[in-house]
Amino acid sequence: MALPIRYSLRNALVRWRSTIATVLGIALVVFVFVLLQSLAAGIERSSGNTGDPRNLMVVRKGSTAESASLISRATLQEIRYFPEIARHEAGDPIISADVLALVNLPRRNNGGEANVLLRGVTPRGRELRPQVHLVAGRWFEPGKREVVVSAKLARRFANFDIGESFKSGNATLTVVGWLAGGGSAFDSECWLDADECRSIFERDMYSSFLIRPVDAAAGAKLIARIEADRRFKLKVEKEVEYYRKQTMTAAPIKWLGGFLAVTMSIGAVFAAMNTMYAAVGARTREIGTLRVLGYRRRFVVVALLVEGAFLALLGGVLGCVLAFHWNGYTTATMGFETFSEIVFEFRVTPGLIAKGLIFAVVVGLIGTALPAIRASRLPVIAALKSL
Amino acid sequence: MSDRENIVSIRNLSKIYAQGEIQVTALHDISLAIAAGEFLTLMGPSGSGKSTLLHIIAGVDRPTSGECLVQGVDVTKLNESQLADWRNQNVGFVFQTFNLIPVLTAFENVELPLLLTRLGPAQRRRQVHAALELVGLADRMHHLPKQLSGGQEQRVAIARALVTDPRLVVADEPTGNLDSHSAQEVLGILQSLSRQAGKTVIMVTHDPKAAAFGSRSIHLEKGELTN
Amino acid sequence: MNLSGFVIRNAFRNRRRLLLSVSSVAASLFLLITLQVALRELTNPINDEGSSLRIIVRSKVSLAQPLPARQMPILERIPGVVAVSPFTFFGGLYKGDEKFTSFAQFAVDPARTLPLISDAKLPRAQYEAWLADRTSCIVGQMTVDRYGLKIGDRMPFTGQLYPCDLDLKIAGIYHGTADDRNVMFHQKYLDELQGNPGMVGTWWVLAASAADVPFVTDRINKAFANSSAEVRAESERAFVLGFVSMWANIKTLIGGISIVVVFALLLVTVSTMSMAIRERFRELAILKALGFRRRELFAFILAESFGLAMGGAVLGAGGAWVLFRSINIQNLTNGLFLMFEVTPQMLGLAFSVAVLLGVLAALAPMWTVARTSVVQGLKTLD
Repeated sequence: MALPIRYSLRNALVRWRSTIATVLGIALVVFVFVLLQSLAAGIERSSGNTGDPRNLMVVRKGSTAESASLISRATLQEIRYFPEIARHEAGDPIISADVLALVNLPRRNNGGEANVLLRGVTPRGRELRPQVHLVAGRWFEPGKREVVVSAKLARRFANFDIGESFKSGNATLTVVGWLAGGGSAFDSECWLDADECRSIFERDMYSSFLIRPVDAAAGAKLIARIEADRRFKLKVEKEVEYYRKQTMTAAPIKWLGGFLAVTMSIGAVFAAMNTMYAAVGARTREIGTLRVLGYRRRFVVVALLVEGAFLALLGGVLGCVLAFHWNGYTTATMGFETFSEIVFEFRVTPGLIAKGLIFAVVVGLIGTALPAIRASRLPVIAALKSL
Repeated sequence: MSDRENIVSIRNLSKIYAQGEIQVTALHDISLAIAAGEFLTLMGPSGSGKSTLLHIIAGVDRPTSGECLVQGVDVTKLNESQLADWRNQNVGFVFQTFNLIPVLTAFENVELPLLLTRLGPAQRRRQVHAALELVGLADRMHHLPKQLSGGQEQRVAIARALVTDPRLVVADEPTGNLDSHSAQEVLGILQSLSRQAGKTVIMVTHDPKAAAFGSRSIHLEKGELTN
Repeated sequence: MNLSGFVIRNAFRNRRRLLLSVSSVAASLFLLITLQVALRELTNPINDEGSSLRIIVRSKVSLAQPLPARQMPILERIPGVVAVSPFTFFGGLYKGDEKFTSFAQFAVDPARTLPLISDAKLPRAQYEAWLADRTSCIVGQMTVDRYGLKIGDRMPFTGQLYPCDLDLKIAGIYHGTADDRNVMFHQKYLDELQGNPGMVGTWWVLAASAADVPFVTDRINKAFANSSAEVRAESERAFVLGFVSMWANIKTLIGGISIVVVFALLLVTVSTMSMAIRERFRELAILKALGFRRRELFAFILAESFGLAMGGAVLGAGGAWVLFRSINIQNLTNGLFLMFEVTPQMLGLAFSVAVLLGVLAALAPMWTVARTSVVQGLKTLD
């Protein structure tokens, strides 16, 4: 390593006692920033991870979410036999008409209540969503009031163990299995028979259709055909596209992360400035000596900037390590689109770590800029003043 | 006497600076010539202007008026960056307080001025070795300043002053912070620089015993030469 | 000159350091107050006078499940009930909004709804105009200001939860409630657009007195128990707190993060202030040499430390108070926050933290001073 850089780094390390508070301060700023962004990343990932690229999702025009959509049974009958839709060996079209219902259920350990999304599905609906598989118990039987709950939700809600049952509306639903959605949005759902769901919640309408077209060209044709038909008032898009847009919940968290990062970094910049001013003050003679030896002002500025940036980077690394500790940790909140509990994981991605480190270095550089300029303006004679 | 033989020639040099409301005359109309290879000592009481004169010759301070030619170059006319380069190539500095960089080893401290030159690592290494050999500290080159005694620190500082092979070495009270034994060593080295290596050495001191090592001594009082 | 004069002169000697120390205390306390205010607003529903008397009745299944309109007469007959009106959350997108509209639209029964929103000030003539026109609505002052609306303007909404669109005419403008943003229109109009399905979203019920609220709630729940549409009646406060509970871990997380934030800033501030005071070692050593006792030196350090902390508190907490009073928080946060009020308790907290800071920051220098001899102190220059 070049001597000037070694000079900066060793100076940063030799004063560790006076810089440790600054480094820790920056570490915590970066920690908060990365943690909140990782939360938003987790929400985005769980919805970005959902769906099969071959499938098409049909909802009512104007509904931003499946759970707020209503489609009549007559519409199903009309669309069902469109030739663009793929057929099963037996000849029936691969289309699933789902019914979504929101139920308010108690959490475990008296943790209050929250909404859970119930999805009434047909056997076709399960085939169309291969991401979802059973991890315990068995699937529900058609015509029975049985429900398969997400294993991740089961850890959070009372009466969600296999064999237990809960009451909703006028029906009692028995939990017969746990499902896993492989980190997708389905991890926040409970599935039951579509017809049972309609009868329990007195629904005359479906919420959404999931369709497998014959091929991509047929898919494009189907989108054009359904959307063009004024009678239907339906919106058709690729299932993956639909889920990719379900990220409203992440927005305020990102905003909060940004707000805290900016406000906290102001404090961190003050701290870095103080530390670096103190460093400059303590090294007045040393800096003068460098100048006497022929080093220019520019070098003094750069050396101090490197020192400040290095300190901040140490803080940044520490902050990222702290935040990474949470990577993969499962948590939950209310999703804005579905208005129900969504389960997701903290995602500390390489991109976020890079952002956190850059952020730290920027704080360090801003905090060092003024002290460095001051140092470079110190009179050369300062080196020659005796004690 | 021509400028070629004289490494330093100073004409009508004055320095006035403001201390609050009061104008202080540090140097008043000084003219002086210093020949190549001299070991000149500047003496005088505190505030006599001896340090100011040294600083102007070494290109770290500027006079109010007059000129100061060092090897034919008027240092008073160079700008900040030119001065930095000029100092690096032409002057070696020895300070009263040694001024070694605490976080760098003896070797790295001596190497510091060479980093501003175009020399390659191998060449730099040779020069640093030679300079440390000269001051008798080749065996201490990987020590940090705090692991050295005061006398050793000052010898490292002299090695640093010599490593770029400048024709002029300036020293500001180099023995001010040393015990008498270390002081003798340091003065001996400075003397041999002028006698054997042909360097011009200018040293500020107020110790007559130290001044005795020089080849010529001049006195300042209230900003004027007294002899 | 006495000791306090000396303290003040000394504090102002290094103006830059003084400014940095005070600013970093101020920044910390400003953030502390901001987080407190935000957390309070998110977890503590805002109230107006009427809210203590209101009961909200929703389906026991969930808020998303509609209730049959035929429940109205049963509700009205329950003892202690003064008024009942449907309140159906339409959740439409206002003209031009693509994903999110920051104000709610409720379908209500205008003939019955006024007692339920007793805080709302609405001119009599405007109320009558609203009552008379089935497709008209009343709008809160904040929404009117934000979109530059006036009486007679039309407000189109695209239905998201309901498969129909609204085209409303503004008949009146109200103000005086805790949240002057909402649009209220005729439940009848919504029913017609849907072909009269006979369903409403929720019922809002007014109890005769605050003391009646628990009994009335209980009676309503019992009245529909084991019917085809069981309900959950709860006080407005409990209803809103139910929302807060749905935030789940996020709420805890944000609370935790606030603590980390404050801790981080305290850490930085304590070190900054210690540094500022450490600069005084030379003076302290001189004072020691002059015969000042340790106790007096401690007083000197504490005085400076306290001065810095209090200066920061006044600037940070006072700044937050002034700032949040003078900005329009609704517009800035797109309606997420309404009041953003700094309470006396929060100011108290900020000043207590400042006192703590003053003591903590003085500890390290005091310890060093106690150990340092006169000679060592005089040597300390850096």
